[in-house]
Amino acid sequence: MVAPTRAARNRTSGSALPRYLLRRLGTSIVLLIGVTLVTFVLTALVPGDPIAAALGEGAIQNEATVQAYRERYGMDRSLPERYLLYLLALLQGDLGTSIRTSRPVMEELSTALPATVEVAFGAIVVSLAVALVLGTIAAYRSGKLADQVVRVVSLVGLSVPTFWLAIMVYRLFFMQLGWAPGSGRLSPALNPPPRVTGLYLIDFAIDGDPVGFIDAAAHLALPVLVLSLFTIGLLTRFIRTSVLEVLSTDYIRAARAKGLPARRVIVGYLLRGASLPILTMVGIAFGALLSGTVLVEAVFAWPGLGTYAYYAAINLDLPAVMGVGLVVGVVYVVINLIVDLLYGVLDPRVRLG
Amino acid sequence: MSASLARRAVALCLAGTLALTACSGGNTAQSDSDSNGAQASGETLVIDTAFSLETGDPGRNYVPTGSTVLHPIYETLLTFEGDDESEPVPGLATMEVNEDATEFTFTLDEGRVFSDGSPIEADDVVFSFERLKGMEASKANHLVVDIDIEKVDDMTVRMTTEEPYLQLPAIVTNPALSVLNSEVVQENGGTTDDSDAAEEFLNGTSVGSGPYQLETFDLTSQVVLVPNEEYNGDQPAQFERVVVRNVSEAATQLTNLRGGDSDLALDLSGDQVAELGDDFDITAGPGAQTIFLLVNQDDEVFGDLANPAFAEAVRYALDYDSLLELAGEGAAQATGVIPPMFLGALEDGVEQDLVRAAAALEESGYDGETLTLRFPNDQPIGGVDFTTLAERIQSQLAEAGINVDLAPGPFASEIDPYVEGTADFAMWYWGPDFADSSSFLPFGPDETVGTRSGWTAEDAPEIADLVAQARTATDLDEREQAFADFAAALQEEGPFIPLLVPARSFASTDVDGVTYNSNWTIDIAELSPAD
Repeated sequence: MVAPTRAARNRTSGSALPRYLLRRLGTSIVLLIGVTLVTFVLTALVPGDPIAAALGEGAIQNEATVQAYRERYGMDRSLPERYLLYLLALLQGDLGTSIRTSRPVMEELSTALPATVEVAFGAIVVSLAVALVLGTIAAYRSGKLADQVVRVVSLVGLSVPTFWLAIMVYRLFFMQLGWAPGSGRLSPALNPPPRVTGLYLIDFAIDGDPVGFIDAAAHLALPVLVLSLFTIGLLTRFIRTSVLEVLSTDYIRAARAKGLPARRVIVGYLLRGASLPILTMVGIAFGALLSGTVLVEAVFAWPGLGTYAYYAAINLDLPAVMGVGLVVGVVYVVINLIVDLLYGVLDPRVRLG
Repeated sequence: MSASLARRAVALCLAGTLALTACSGGNTAQSDSDSNGAQASGETLVIDTAFSLETGDPGRNYVPTGSTVLHPIYETLLTFEGDDESEPVPGLATMEVNEDATEFTFTLDEGRVFSDGSPIEADDVVFSFERLKGMEASKANHLVVDIDIEKVDDMTVRMTTEEPYLQLPAIVTNPALSVLNSEVVQENGGTTDDSDAAEEFLNGTSVGSGPYQLETFDLTSQVVLVPNEEYNGDQPAQFERVVVRNVSEAATQLTNLRGGDSDLALDLSGDQVAELGDDFDITAGPGAQTIFLLVNQDDEVFGDLANPAFAEAVRYALDYDSLLELAGEGAAQATGVIPPMFLGALEDGVEQDLVRAAAALEESGYDGETLTLRFPNDQPIGGVDFTTLAERIQSQLAEAGINVDLAPGPFASEIDPYVEGTADFAMWYWGPDFADSSSFLPFGPDETVGTRSGWTAEDAPEIADLVAQARTATDLDEREQAFADFAAALQEEGPFIPLLVPARSFASTDVDGVTYNSNWTIDIAELSPAD
């Protein structure tokens, strides 16, 4: 049987992609509805009255205020009714109104999410770059000193509590050495850039403000460093294992036996061969960074998704909790989709379908 | 792997590190440079606090950070000076009260203006008040439900109540009763009923008459204030820019202060304050909240132990000096339910008396069963960790023969049984709704906290009478005595065991005027660069 030509494969891929995306979209919607249902049920099961938590001691004694709150936030309706109304509003892009702040949850998330995306993206880029180098060195020097050092370093990165590390790093680089700026996304003297994306680096660049850009980059450095240390540990160990597996394959041995330069063997064959599992792990790590930075955000006073989720949870702000759950769900769905699509790019043998 | 590859790898790591360091670029806050316009050194004040911010609309605000940032923007008819909350002083107006303490007449100062230059008149006062009263969905609405207002003339308004209401002057100082520029608010959706839609506008624009005005307002990260150029009161802005930042971690507040990134930290614990050296100014004193134990008096809730004798046994079993050690510098033993800064607070608290505790325990009918102490564990008050405090209480009660299991839970979950009155043995805290001792009358029988404890007027008719006397007094001396009698009576036979008044500890550098006030935590308008 004659193998299909590259053009034929591309044609096949070209027609399969829209169908694949459509199918993924369908399953994603079902998945996200499931996420809303689970989040809704869980928040409903949590003991405690959200209205009592929101109003506090003084206002809860005022019947008129309690009633006004119950009506405004639909708490006077049955659970199924509230859930259906939530889904109907969701269809129109409305995530509801925060009980704590009386502002649209969508608006608040659109401020919090970019702050977290900025730091998580920085962390994953730094982590991947460092981990690729360390993991490959460790695999190439398996069992030797370099390997042992890298393994110990990655183990330390994984083991050190992130919260403690954040405090120590902040004290060292900001307070002791004065190399890093203080907490938050910007120095107190600066105002945020005009909002375009919510990502300060990009928005300052669009605004043509180099001082703001440098200040925002400087404030990113320490949160990125702390988040990277854990992720570097995670990815390094994974990359080492993946590269070791590929190193023992015939085609790598053949490439090295032919005398190909080490750089070409590593970049052209080795890493490409190990890329699929690495890509999967990078996707998982990025998702975790986006949804699990609450402690680091607290130390660096970073007004991101983690901080928002924390305030939503302790105040029983149910619409905000639902919004966070949905956003995290969407993040994972999108990352998984991108990873799956990249599979096809990195390895033509992988068929979408 | 070739040696050249290894070198490149090491070089890449180094380059990454250098790039990161280069990005850090030094401590920009200390350089005082600014892309939006240079600020001279000392002209920007940076305050770190854990935000409880919900809105920029004074009429809808009833949380501490909101009061801190809104108080220097908006003025009230009466106010307090510094940490003296014993008696309100004139703000935008002077006040006269009738003999029955049911009519309060306010005369506005001549010539005062809003930030747009327009004059402050009685119509603005009436509108601002009626707006709050009409917004039933405002958390601050309860402050004014018993008060009516009318315009007397362009510069005079009168507030009236059905009963004597000497707490009214203190209520009027609350930032929720700020005077807003009525014309501008109405142009932007303001009304005097629940249809009011001015909040979004007020989240971005300030329309007050205080020494500062809003520059930027972000609920999650920071609020920036700048001087109100039209201000014509007697306390003009002392800083060109005030940045109030949300720094939820006290450890980060401490690091920011020590590293020079902030000038004032508002949420340090007593231990953290003690850690600071002489280079920092410390303001530490008792706050306005009382942490207390509650012994439910409803026998359907607490069975045979629902009696004053068991509360007495617990009260005298505790070693308060030992409990106070957990609260750090500035905290005080709760001498009663009323904290020391308010009228009627008692001079001395209860001292441990194990003999009296044993006698009361025997009288109470306690037969060695293990009780469960419920408390919220996720919101330390003034740096006091409730779990640590509960553990020490557990240990001390065990020595007195009372066995207790601890049942900590999140505030949001624990508040339900407390409010519903189904908590049999619990630890909670109470702060004033406004800066007046009447905010502690809810501890009386059949009052809010009393009811939560199953304590009725039938159980303690004399104390119920004291509550009524304190509430309806028309004379200040008579009022003070009634509060003191009320507080003393509760210490004798109430179902509450007041434990601690946690500290409010502030640390600052090169800032004058830092004092604690329960209404707005600190008065930004009173802050100035150190001499």
